[in-house]
Amino acid sequence: MERRKFLGRSAAGGMAVGLGAALKPSRGASGLPGKFTPAAHAIPHSKYSPFTTPDYYTFADDLVIERNVPGKPHQGKVLAAVQAHSDDIPLFAAGTVAKLIDEGYTGYLIRLSNDEAAGRTLGYGVVQNEADIQEAARAMGCKRAYSFYYRNHRMDDNAVIEIRARLIFLFRLLQVNTIFAMDPYDHYDENPDHIVAGKAVEGACWMAGGGKDYPEHYKAGLKPAHIREKYYHARSPQGHNLVNRVVDISSYIDHKVRTNVANKGKGPAGTAGVRLRRQLARQGKKLALLGEDDETANLAYVKFFLMDDFHLLGQQFGLEYAEAFRYIGPEPSYAGNIMKYASEHAVPL
Amino acid sequence: MNSGGVPYLNQAVAGTGNAEIVLETDHPGQPHQGKVFVAIHAHLHELPYYAGGLCAKLIREGYTGYLVRTTNDEKYGGHTIAQNILSNEQEHLKMAAAMGFKDVADLYYRAHRMNEISPTEIRGRLTLLLRMFKADTVISFHPWGYGEEDTDRQVTGRAVDDACVLAASESDFQEHLEAGFRPQSVTERYYFHTRSGQPFNRLVDIGSYVEAKIDAMVECRSQGGGALGSELRARLARQGKRLPLLGNDDRTANREYVRQFLLDDFRDYGRPHKFSYAERFYYVDRRPPAKTKVDEYVEKNAVGI
Ligand SMILES: [Zn+2]
Repeated sequence: MERRKFLGRSAAGGMAVGLGAALKPSRGASGLPGKFTPAAHAIPHSKYSPFTTPDYYTFADDLVIERNVPGKPHQGKVLAAVQAHSDDIPLFAAGTVAKLIDEGYTGYLIRLSNDEAAGRTLGYGVVQNEADIQEAARAMGCKRAYSFYYRNHRMDDNAVIEIRARLIFLFRLLQVNTIFAMDPYDHYDENPDHIVAGKAVEGACWMAGGGKDYPEHYKAGLKPAHIREKYYHARSPQGHNLVNRVVDISSYIDHKVRTNVANKGKGPAGTAGVRLRRQLARQGKKLALLGEDDETANLAYVKFFLMDDFHLLGQQFGLEYAEAFRYIGPEPSYAGNIMKYASEHAVPL
Repeated sequence: MNSGGVPYLNQAVAGTGNAEIVLETDHPGQPHQGKVFVAIHAHLHELPYYAGGLCAKLIREGYTGYLVRTTNDEKYGGHTIAQNILSNEQEHLKMAAAMGFKDVADLYYRAHRMNEISPTEIRGRLTLLLRMFKADTVISFHPWGYGEEDTDRQVTGRAVDDACVLAASESDFQEHLEAGFRPQSVTERYYFHTRSGQPFNRLVDIGSYVEAKIDAMVECRSQGGGALGSELRARLARQGKRLPLLGNDDRTANREYVRQFLLDDFRDYGRPHKFSYAERFYYVDRRPPAKTKVDEYVEKNAVGI
């Protein structure tokens, strides 16, 4: 737990929450006539990076705030965080993944694309991202990272049924109980890989528990995987989804920072801090928050500039940092409830 | 033509436009002990019809055999689509048991519609099966089978051939390796000869196995003619007649009907070589040589430092 505190608010040159916290929300006067109730909500945004929180939120009226749970209540459970690209889970869900793993889950990171669309050349890009996902997985506490290497930005060229089949295999092999994925019902997503990934994960989740789909897996000794919990995150910019769960990631923000710093090949984090520090040095300047060494510069950059929007989101709920999800939990015991009613109300013949 | 030094390949003869044809005859003992073949067909009756003799022979000679059917056979059986699926499924299990297969996998793709499925998905499934069963040898459709108008067979043959390549690769479907299934080299392939004009380079003497082939064929009642004998016997009885050939019970009627009317091709294939029955295949040998050219070169030319 000490490790988490390596970047306390005061540890990086008196770092405070980023400037964005002081900015006014960009809503302005709403032109929505009073007879209408807004269905989507804009919340303050730092404008430091597009790849943080979405432009709108739609909240369910039974929204739950998920807070830290003492001990290891999830011991024995398995989560799979599935992403199309190396930066998806780190940016949008790493705090919650790290939290659940700390609370007892065994975690796995599954990347579906090869991330070839980021890098100096295609070859350099895939190699860097391949290495990055291992580091990012470690930073969240995942036991292992897998990659399917579908071509980046071309996943709508692949058969969803094949991706789904491979996910079913992995879910059964790893005995997954809980998944994280890009919401397949996001209101806006220009990246086809996200849409394909979300749909493939969703289908795989329920089929992994069935006896009739891919029975050869059972011949191979695998067991059905009963996935009872899903955390769907939005993409950003834009891309809002229905939110019914806000997770307090305040204790895990440094995990999230480290996870994003691990992503050197893609995303807004990686070595951005070092680059800014060097750029300023060439101009004979420095930013105190970037510290005196490269590691501090990268960590501080991510925490100050990229995590600020998660702080602004958290503030709306009285939390220091938060991530938002469409959470789908275990189904009620429908048959059990009917039997309960029957046993309570049945009368002698 | 590579006969691979297999002792029971006792002669090669001139073929009919198919280059050299190897005659594969019975081999005493169990030379294939420890080896595995996987037979993959699209529809219930195909394996026993095209390769029932070969499968019985290989199992007798030590192979462990597994059977895979790719379709659900919903179009055959003369009943509703659902009833056809059920009858073919159950008959497939019985046919496999009659042949002595160790296990059966049905993939249940819709019959006559396999050209709409994802090639990568079926290939992935077959790759897992080949690794799981540890297949050394595969028996299936020729992936470029001339004149093969059945799209289910085309798709199956293509997918099997691709899966044979991928099964050996450490880089494909790495999740299988994670699950404990190692890369598997499929080194021998027998492609069915399903249409006249298709190439074949191997003729297998199935004289000793024709009873096993018939045993398997009579289990294929929804398609493949396995029940035609008893149906003919019943029809004749209603007319107050009987055929001595069909015997006195349904099983005999079905078996003798198959022997008399459905095995002509196999008698014809065998006749030029004095085999009572034979099956044709295009055989592909990918077994690595005991010594590579590099080994031989090194052996000849390496000198002391
Ligand atoms: Zn992405």
